[in-house]
Amino acid sequence: MFLTLQDNDRRPIYQQITDGIKNLIARGELREGMTLPSVRQVAGDLGVNLNTVAVAYRQLQDEGFVTVRHGAGAVISSRSPHPVEQAELYKPLRTALTQLVLSGLSGREIVETVREQLAQLQQKGGTR
Amino acid sequence: MSAPNAVCIYIFIICLIVPLLVYALVKQLWNAPLQNGPGYFYGIEVPAGFYEGSGKSWMAGYHAMVVALYGLLGAGLGAIIATRRWEMTPVCLGGFALVFVPTVFGFYAWTRHKLGVDPPVQAVALALTSRRMSDYISWPAEALAVALVALSWWLLLLHPARHFDWETPLQLTWVAVGMIPGKMAMVKLSWPLPAERAEEHYRLHELSRRFWMRVSGIIFEWYMVVVLLGVALLNATSSPAHHPAPVWRWLVLASQFAVWGYGMIVMFRGMQEMKVLGGELRPAGSWKTPFGRASCFGTGREFRIWFAIWFGGVMAFIVYSICKHGFK
Repeated sequence: MFLTLQDNDRRPIYQQITDGIKNLIARGELREGMTLPSVRQVAGDLGVNLNTVAVAYRQLQDEGFVTVRHGAGAVISSRSPHPVEQAELYKPLRTALTQLVLSGLSGREIVETVREQLAQLQQKGGTR
Repeated sequence: MSAPNAVCIYIFIICLIVPLLVYALVKQLWNAPLQNGPGYFYGIEVPAGFYEGSGKSWMAGYHAMVVALYGLLGAGLGAIIATRRWEMTPVCLGGFALVFVPTVFGFYAWTRHKLGVDPPVQAVALALTSRRMSDYISWPAEALAVALVALSWWLLLLHPARHFDWETPLQLTWVAVGMIPGKMAMVKLSWPLPAERAEEHYRLHELSRRFWMRVSGIIFEWYMVVVLLGVALLNATSSPAHHPAPVWRWLVLASQFAVWGYGMIVMFRGMQEMKVLGGELRPAGSWKTPFGRASCFGTGREFRIWFAIWFGGVMAFIVYSICKHGFK
């Protein structure tokens, strides 16, 4: 299973790692109980600083997607992360929708795009 | 049955090594810069038509270096045969390795410095598979190797010969035991994976990691352990008045050559496998990730530190041997 980090992505590296892992969890490719490689291994494989990967793992842990067990590394938690306020949950969606509206897409096109993206996520049968 | 004669053994080693080195020269070394196809020179992407222009002089330079290195070995072996100082064979072969490795690495580094200054940036893939030591290293086998080294030293210390050359067992122990942390460092060695054909690149990296661990484990660890044990056993069973039975000497010699021969077979087979698997893939070091430099040997601080200490020690032993025996 691979996570791809694009060369033209403007997000910080730790954010790309966090989002990539979350995406794999959402698609059901990373399932509960699976172990992520160590911070040192990821940092070496990507050629980035240890702290960058540590920040990504910490963020995943804070959001409840992984549990860090001493000696076992970072383990994927159940797919119900810490409860988040609904308003908080919709915030990134609103930001993304705003971007789409500003880019000139019609409401129908936006709905179609969202449907497409959701279908891609569900392709692996990960979303309940 | 008479015991194997030292001179015959050295002649046998020369007869074995020379065809092997010639085979390596023809099959692997001579066209090594072209192993990834005409689009690359030593794993560095080169423009079309490179080999019609400046590539010719690069290839000529490379060939001159290889000829000079082999010429040096040929001169050394020629001098041994002419002067009949057969006992200089290991020193000559060790000296060849001492010159060969840094020269080839130096040429490679120079090539990268001149041709591979600005490799293309590519998306990078991250394999979410943990590498655990136990998946690559057999701890019972390592424990056995350490136990055999300890047994050898126990035998050597229990039966110290009057004119025993302690340098040899020390050197063998350094090389063999030093490979254990080396293997651990190899597990931690990382290569960035290009996002394009990531699965195939991952398989190649894994094959390469296991190949180098296996080959170095056989040649530098187990072969040295067997040689050390042989030295200790022969030393323990010999005394000024009594020499071990010839059959024992033949057995020790045969086991050493068997391990070495097996190592050679594994090495040439593995190299062929890697050539087949990696033939069409972009070589490591011909591109760089969005975050770091291009790396062909993989990245790993532990590996670099281990290699500097281990190889430095081996070089020190070889230089000492050359100084001690070579200038007599």
